[in-house]
Parts: sequence; structure tokens; C-alpha cells
Amino acid sequence: MPPARRRGGNTAATRSGQSTLSFGSKSRVTKPSATPTTRSQKAKDLEPLVSSLPEKPSVESASEPEEVQVTPTEPSQPHVAELAVRQQARTEIEQPVSEEDQKASNITERDLAKYWKQEEAKRRGPRVHQSDLTTHEKILRHFDLSSQYGPCIGIARLKRWRRANMLNLNPPIEVLAVLLKEGNDSKQRAYIDELLS
Amino acid sequence: MAPENSEQEFLRPPSEQNFEPVYREPSYYNPLNTFRLPSGQDRHYQQQYGDMYFLRLAKLKPAVEEIAVEAWEGFSIAGENARRVERVLDVRQGELCWVAGTIYMDMPLKPNILDDLTKENYTLAPPPRPTYQDPSHPELTQIMLEDESGRLRLTGSALSSTQLATGAIIAVLGTENANGDFEVIDIKVPDLPPQPRRWEKDEVDTAQKESSKGKIAFISGLGITGTSSDTLALELLTDYLLGYTGPSEQEDSPLPNASLITRLVIAGNSLGTSMTTDTSADNAAAAKKKTGTKKYGYDASAYNASPITQLDTFLAEILPSIPITLMPGESDPANFSLPQQGIHRAMFPRARAYCAPPPSGDEKQEPGWFDSVTNPWEGDVEGWRLWGSSGQNVDDVLRYLNFSDPESNPASTDGDVEARIRIMEAMLRWRCGVPTAPDTIWSYPFQTHDPFVIETCPHIFFAGNQPRFKTAVIEGDMPLKLNGTDTEMTGTDDNTLGPRVRLLSIPKFKETGELILVDVETLEVEVVKFGTFAGQQEKQ
Repeated sequence: MPPARRRGGNTAATRSGQSTLSFGSKSRVTKPSATPTTRSQKAKDLEPLVSSLPEKPSVESASEPEEVQVTPTEPSQPHVAELAVRQQARTEIEQPVSEEDQKASNITERDLAKYWKQEEAKRRGPRVHQSDLTTHEKILRHFDLSSQYGPCIGIARLKRWRRANMLNLNPPIEVLAVLLKEGNDSKQRAYIDELLS
Repeated sequence: MAPENSEQEFLRPPSEQNFEPVYREPSYYNPLNTFRLPSGQDRHYQQQYGDMYFLRLAKLKPAVEEIAVEAWEGFSIAGENARRVERVLDVRQGELCWVAGTIYMDMPLKPNILDDLTKENYTLAPPPRPTYQDPSHPELTQIMLEDESGRLRLTGSALSSTQLATGAIIAVLGTENANGDFEVIDIKVPDLPPQPRRWEKDEVDTAQKESSKGKIAFISGLGITGTSSDTLALELLTDYLLGYTGPSEQEDSPLPNASLITRLVIAGNSLGTSMTTDTSADNAAAAKKKTGTKKYGYDASAYNASPITQLDTFLAEILPSIPITLMPGESDPANFSLPQQGIHRAMFPRARAYCAPPPSGDEKQEPGWFDSVTNPWEGDVEGWRLWGSSGQNVDDVLRYLNFSDPESNPASTDGDVEARIRIMEAMLRWRCGVPTAPDTIWSYPFQTHDPFVIETCPHIFFAGNQPRFKTAVIEGDMPLKLNGTDTEMTGTDDNTLGPRVRLLSIPKFKETGELILVDVETLEVEVVKFGTFAGQQEKQ
């Protein structure tokens, strides 16, 4: 039997006597783009520890608590979905190198630029709001919104690419190349997922 | 239980005759871990359920399109050729075309998660409904076809002659009418998947294959409550399975020889429903009265261990003689969402001696003599591929369908049983064992593969906890035949040697006292009925 649901608004109002809803930084847990000033003391303490650690996620992942995964560039409290996606990405990166990975590693920046030019040519108009993005990010966002490769919400980009490949949907190899090039630093969560959550 | 001839064996001096010992036939058993979920830390619930529909469509769309191409290529009405459309939103009005997608049914009484969220005072889960149809407003039931692009409402007389449920992947031929609905002319389903030959998976030498004879026993719904009410039937079952019920050597014995039974499959609901809910309700009431403070979690004082203890005793009694595969069901102590994981061995202090050791590392281990498996479950027994569930999938699909209309089945009581077998057939032809998960059956959010898609056709497809016993054999031909218009159907010729599946709807033992035996040579089915009150068994 599921427990009774209570809406958060009621309890918050009775506790603080506040008449209006507050969307202040305290209650905001979802946006990863929150300013770094809201970072908690705990995260600050962890910072030097994290930066001094060698970048070996494969070793840490099994035992370390997830707090350690917070890198200094990230906001203090990543969304739970963000953490899940990061964990997916970590396990995906640990996978043995496959045939496609080999093929993708041979793809150069020039190939990527060419691929993107082709994709652009399929459109009628230019992408007005993406002028400040890198080609890599543009390729990834385009892949996110290609619905024939499956839903992009709640799944790491690398995992989604491999899943589409497993189902013989022929996802573009250039996307895998971008994902592997960026390596551990790449953003694995779809941008639309961040916007929606 | 006591034939006449055995009565003459009493009241005489002990004989010196040496009796041949009876040996049980060995069992070849190879369970597949299709439905085993990752354990502990690796099991996540953040994934979206949309992934499951995507995976199902991606897996089954090529299969159904292959059949559709064969049937509809060159199909034309009034000179207009049927065109293949890739996505449902690409359908143009007035154009004869065909498209593949997932069925979604919008029904008035179907539980809706958004309703639950919008209601402020949501306290109790709604009771399970017998059907999602609203008989007074049949027009409220809408059937739609969806894929990653969008949805298309289906209409037309072809729909009423076919039974569909949410989650099935089909291809439809037709045209969009002025209302924007898709007028369906014909429907194609993926049909039976390829079936492996017997013994395909197992490395068994030919001598063993030839010597293998015997029967697989299926039972479900033991419904043990831990009270004295279920003792007698269980005792009889134990005696029969252990071969205590009299001379089995004689040819004229009405009972199938129990020593031929190589394995017992228990398909769910071994524990009774009422006892588990009663205790929890009492528990909650008592806790409220006793202390004002809330107590969370497990309360040892209110836990009634007698049902599971009795099940354990029953299992431990027959396990020395017969291997058992135990599937959890709706009322068993396992997780509720499908696939249910096996009942933990800690529940069986006596029977667990026959379990396989706990998994250590990644190496593949031998299945145990007593195997507590998942629900649904897939595996090879005596070389045959079995696919079975504890019945939740059939029960739920039945809520979508309307079999009560008089033209399809006149007898109302038999209609339900007939409908269940037809649902099982339909599920195989849809290639999806649990089509309504995750819509109306709770399910684990699979992200990279959908195990409910049946990729290899089983030889025996069973569902437990059904009201009545029923069996049927289906063969791999086209289930939906057109009358007249389609003359080019060549698919049936290829499938004459195609898959054959034995369907089993296993009744609740608690209510019917029936044990199902399937012969491993011929896949013929026998029923052993334990008449608890008449005190005799009869073979049907």
C-alpha cells in the first residue's frame, strides 16, 4: 500500500508562516547551473581533496560515496538524475573497447566538421541560438533530439548511442567519436533533460 | 486412493518377495536468467519507462514489417497501391498506406498516474478493477497507434474483430479519414518467433536423449495459509508426488505413475492472499492503539510465520525425491513489480539445503535441486523451452478486452477460460509476454533491453493461477485471416513445419485441487485431481 501523498506546499506554509511561494536558491535543487556561491561548506571542504585525487573514476566508483564525485566546477547539489546519469556513464566508459570505438577513434576533427556541415545543409535555416556553442556540443545536442535513437531523458549519451547501435539503428559514428574524445569530462546528460528537470 | 486389488494385499503373512525399487527419471534442467535483475547497487529506478516502449518497438518493428511487406506489397484498392509509411505522423489523409507501431488503449476505468498526482487527498490505492472497459460507454475506449513521433487514433470494423491490448506491436493497413482517424482495413502482428529444436541448448549425448521419458508437473496457487484448512490437500499432494499412493506399477492404475514426474514447477501464489493482508491490517490497528508514537518498518511481534513455515515444510518433505522450480506470485513474499525476483532462500530454513550456493563472483553456477526462480521465468526442462508466468500478465490483458459480447462466445462461464487461452496465444503472436507492463502492471524500468519480448518461441507456454484448467496447441500460421481480399498470403505455406506451442492455463490448486502433468515425449497433458472431501483421486 503506497503511503499517503502530501503536497509540499502545505507543510512549508504552516512551518514558516510564509504566504507566498519562494523560488529562492535554498529550495532549488534541480538546476545544475546554480551559482557557485550557494555551495555548501561540506562541498568546499571536499574541493581540495577532489582536485588532488588522480582522475581515475574506474577505481573510485565502487567504494567512494557520491559526494566525492562533485567536481569544483559543478554546483553543490547535483540532481539525483544527474548522479544516475553520471554513474551510467562511468560504467559505460569502463566497458572494453569495441569495434565501433576503434572506428570512432580514427575520426578526426576535420571529419566532425564535415559531418556537421552536412547535417546543417539538411536544414532550411541556420541554428540561431547555437552560435556560441562548440561543434562538439552542437553534434551532441542534435543527437539528443534525434528521436529515432530512443528517448534521451534519464540516460547517458554514451549509453544511448551504444543501445541504438545494439538495436541496429545505425547511430552516426561521429557522435561516438565526440563522446570518446571528450572522455570523462564530457557532459553525458542530455541538455533537454537538464532543461526539463 | 485404494483400488480393489490392493485390498486383497492386506491380512496375509509377510511375503518374501523382493520388490523392484522404483527410480525417478532424472531431470535435465537449464534455467535461463532472462528475468534476473542486477542485484543491490546496480538496480536503479531513475530510468524512464518510455525506454521500454522504445526498446520493444525497435525489437519488434522489423519483425512485423517483414510480415506486412509480404502480405501487403502490391496490395491495391481501385488502382491505388498501398504505400509504406515510416512513422505514424507521416500518414497523409486519404492515402492508402500501412504503418507499424505500438498499440495504446485509452480506457475510462484504467488507472492513471496523473489522476493520482492531481488528487490532493489521495490516501488509498484504488481497488483492482475487474475490467478497464466501461460497458455503458463503449465509445470512450479509444485505440491508438503510437511510435516515437506521435499517436494516431484507429477506427474501423477490423478493430472490433481483433482483440488488442496496450503494448502490442502491430502493423495496420488503411487510410486516414476526414476526422483524422485511421480507418483500418487489415492488421498484422509479428506472429510466433523462431522456435529452437528440442535439446538445442543442452549438451546432452544421444543416449540420454533417447532414454528421456517422463512428465513435468505444474501446479500453482497452493494458497497455504498456515491453518489446518489446507493440510489435507497438501498431504495428498505430498503422498502422490512421493509415490505413496499405492502401486504405480500396475497398468490399470487410474493414476499416472508418480515416479515418471521429473520436476515440479510451482507457478506462483504458494501462500494465501488473505492471511498476509490480514496480519498487516491487524498489525497497523494494534500498533495505533498501543502507542501514540509511529513505528516504522518490521514488527516482529505481529509477523505470522506459519504460512511460509508450512510451505517450507512441504517443500522440504518432497525435495529429497523430486527437484522443484519455485516461481513467486502476486501473494508471495517477493518484490511486487515484474519481473518478480525469486523468493529468498532465507525464507526456507529447511528447504534451502537443496538450493544452489549463493552466487560468488561471475562464474556460471549449476542450478540448484531446489531452484527459486523469477516470475516470469524462462528455461529448458527436458530439452523443451518453457516460458511461464504466475498469471498476472493474463489477468491484466483480460481487463482490456471485451469478451462478453454474445457473438464471440455464448457460454459465459467458459468464455472467460476460453478468453484466457486466446490471450496467451495472442501474447505469443505479439511476441510479448507482458504487453501491458509498464502501463498497468508494475514493472522494473528496463533501459537497455526489454526481456518481456519473446525472442525464441517456447514449446510450453504456461500461466498460473487461472480459474480453470485449459490447454491448447497453437501453430505458427497467420492468426488473422482476411476474407477474400487477400489472396497472396503465401506465409502459411512456409510455416507448415513451423513452431508448435503447448499452452497451459494452470488452475489454482487451492480451489480446484488439480496438478497438471505434461508428457515430455509428446507434450500431452494429463490432470490429476485431488478431491479433498471425496478422499479419492481421479484422472481426467
